[in-house]
Amino acid sequence: MEKFVALLFSGVAYGAVLAIVSLGFLVLYKATGVINFAHGDLVTLGAYLAAWFISTSGIPIVLSYVIAIVAMFLVGVVLERVAHAPLRKRPVIVVVIATLAASIVIEGIIAVWQGSQPVPLPSPVGNSTVTILGASISDQRILIIVVAFIAVTAMVLVFQRTSFGRQLRALASDQATAQLQGIRVRPIAVIAFGLSAALAALAGVLVGPLSALTIQFGFNLMVLAFAAAVIGGFGSIGGAIVGSLIMGLTQQLLGGYIFTEYANSLPFILLFIVIVLRPTGLFNVQRARL
Amino acid sequence: MSDPVIVETPDAAPAPQGGTSWLGFMNRARGVVRPPIFDRHYYLGVAVFLVALGLLGPVLFTSLSAQYLLNLWMVYCIAGIGFYWVFGLAGKFAFCQTFMMALGGFMSAWLTKATGYNLPFLVGLIGAMVITGFIALVVGLAVKRAQAFYFAIATLALTEVGTTIFQHWTAFAGPNGTQSGLKPPSLFGYTFTSNSKVFWLFFGVLGIVLFAAAMIERSPLRREAIAARDNFLVAQISGVPGFGRQLTLFVAGSALGGLSGALFGHWDGSVSSSSFGIELAIGLFLMLLLGGVGSMWGPVVGAIFYVAIPQWLSSVQQYSQVIYGVVLLVVVIAVPEGLVGLIRKFGNLAMVSYRRARGRRPEHA
Repeated sequence: MEKFVALLFSGVAYGAVLAIVSLGFLVLYKATGVINFAHGDLVTLGAYLAAWFISTSGIPIVLSYVIAIVAMFLVGVVLERVAHAPLRKRPVIVVVIATLAASIVIEGIIAVWQGSQPVPLPSPVGNSTVTILGASISDQRILIIVVAFIAVTAMVLVFQRTSFGRQLRALASDQATAQLQGIRVRPIAVIAFGLSAALAALAGVLVGPLSALTIQFGFNLMVLAFAAAVIGGFGSIGGAIVGSLIMGLTQQLLGGYIFTEYANSLPFILLFIVIVLRPTGLFNVQRARL
Repeated sequence: MSDPVIVETPDAAPAPQGGTSWLGFMNRARGVVRPPIFDRHYYLGVAVFLVALGLLGPVLFTSLSAQYLLNLWMVYCIAGIGFYWVFGLAGKFAFCQTFMMALGGFMSAWLTKATGYNLPFLVGLIGAMVITGFIALVVGLAVKRAQAFYFAIATLALTEVGTTIFQHWTAFAGPNGTQSGLKPPSLFGYTFTSNSKVFWLFFGVLGIVLFAAAMIERSPLRREAIAARDNFLVAQISGVPGFGRQLTLFVAGSALGGLSGALFGHWDGSVSSSSFGIELAIGLFLMLLLGGVGSMWGPVVGAIFYVAIPQWLSSVQQYSQVIYGVVLLVVVIAVPEGLVGLIRKFGNLAMVSYRRARGRRPEHA
């Protein structure tokens, strides 16, 4: 029972982080149609920025997190200006390569700036644990679940209830028609890039304290988050959240009990089965169009 | 309206507007557009390339590291042409090309190992191609209905699961996914022991692959696959068996990946699943995009850059990665159709001005 509770919490916490990453991914995809390969590196950069603020200036941890997230919003805006705005008239594939290039540049900058040694990221709750139903759960995981729940709820409300969300959904369903209705594509793209990067940074500072920061950790997270978004049916917000939780729980519960050696590949086996059975994801949002 | 001369140049087949390229077969009946099957210059291009490579390769690349890079480039060319078939023609983003390379290497190692079956090198190569082609067939049939992202993610899943299996299946893939002690390649009693000898082996294999690629460039397979890629529904309505064409190219391209991995393994002496990771998958993608997605020469040209740029940038040490990314960004913005596309554009311009100089109006329908 203790083991089950512990695995359940770590699975949900992992899924929650994936949900934030995949939401960041989807905001951008819905607004601009771009798959941002640099998203994982934005996660990494956000976490490194927070660690840097804490270690150099002695700002309180939570405040450093907030500064890092705001700074990443600006990085997202810069990324839009550099890698998206000049290419807006080009085919999407060109923009995708531009984001790949941006990802290589960001990784290079982090390597030059911080070196390749792992960097620890302090957490506001430290290493303390609580005991729930006999299982000791680290406070960081509880924090992840609470913060992620708030963030995801806020994002869903933004999507469903605000003018920005309506415009975003209009752009996602038909860009040309949305433009004809007077929706301003450029400001939306700028905000979407910023928001996406801020969400990436949030995921980075949440998951960072669980282990030390390395240059690759965001990229691995991005691959799983992308897979989670695909399980849900690419483009569906609810689908991405459900997909993320499924990925996290499969990896922790099945991997913790039965296939311990193969825990990391379990989400991918599940993914493959989902695509074989439902080739457009669990919650399909795509329509056939000539 | 596009310049009518472009219709006349044989390479204009993959029109980016979609539709026009595959409608070529309707025009054939009226004798307007010559389908590429009547053109010989594909083979001529391959022959010229091979003669140039055969004459210049051993002369220009004399140092040990240069020979290594040249051979590495040829291995990447083979895998890249396979990826061109899958991604460029069939329009399927197969993340699993590097998995196929690893699988090919392990398969060949398993078949040819002195402590195992001890079969000849050639059998290892064929085994590598058969197993990768077979896996691609099974996977292709399983994810038959998956399009775009879903196909990409299914193949990514295959790669991740495959890598984990290689890590644990010691009997097949060696301890921790590293199989060492592969035999050096040998054919008909001749053993290719050094980099300069292996060059000639790779030269021969690349030559065969390029001729096969030229055949596909000329064949209806390419045209129909592009039709299915650009608009699957319309292609099917027009009687093009879209899925079959895509599956054929996926199987053939994956088999080339297996071939390339097996060649690499026997040349290097070891195969490690970690050296065929996601970085190389993105690398293959970059090769194709740098070179140009629309032609079999795209990966060949792109692989030069993929192999060479890190070497050129090694002098700037830690900034190399940043500069590499910036170079990539500049190339994408400056020549979005890739370097082969750029060359072709200049070729067309030259042809137009040549015709104008002769005072002859270009013939067209």
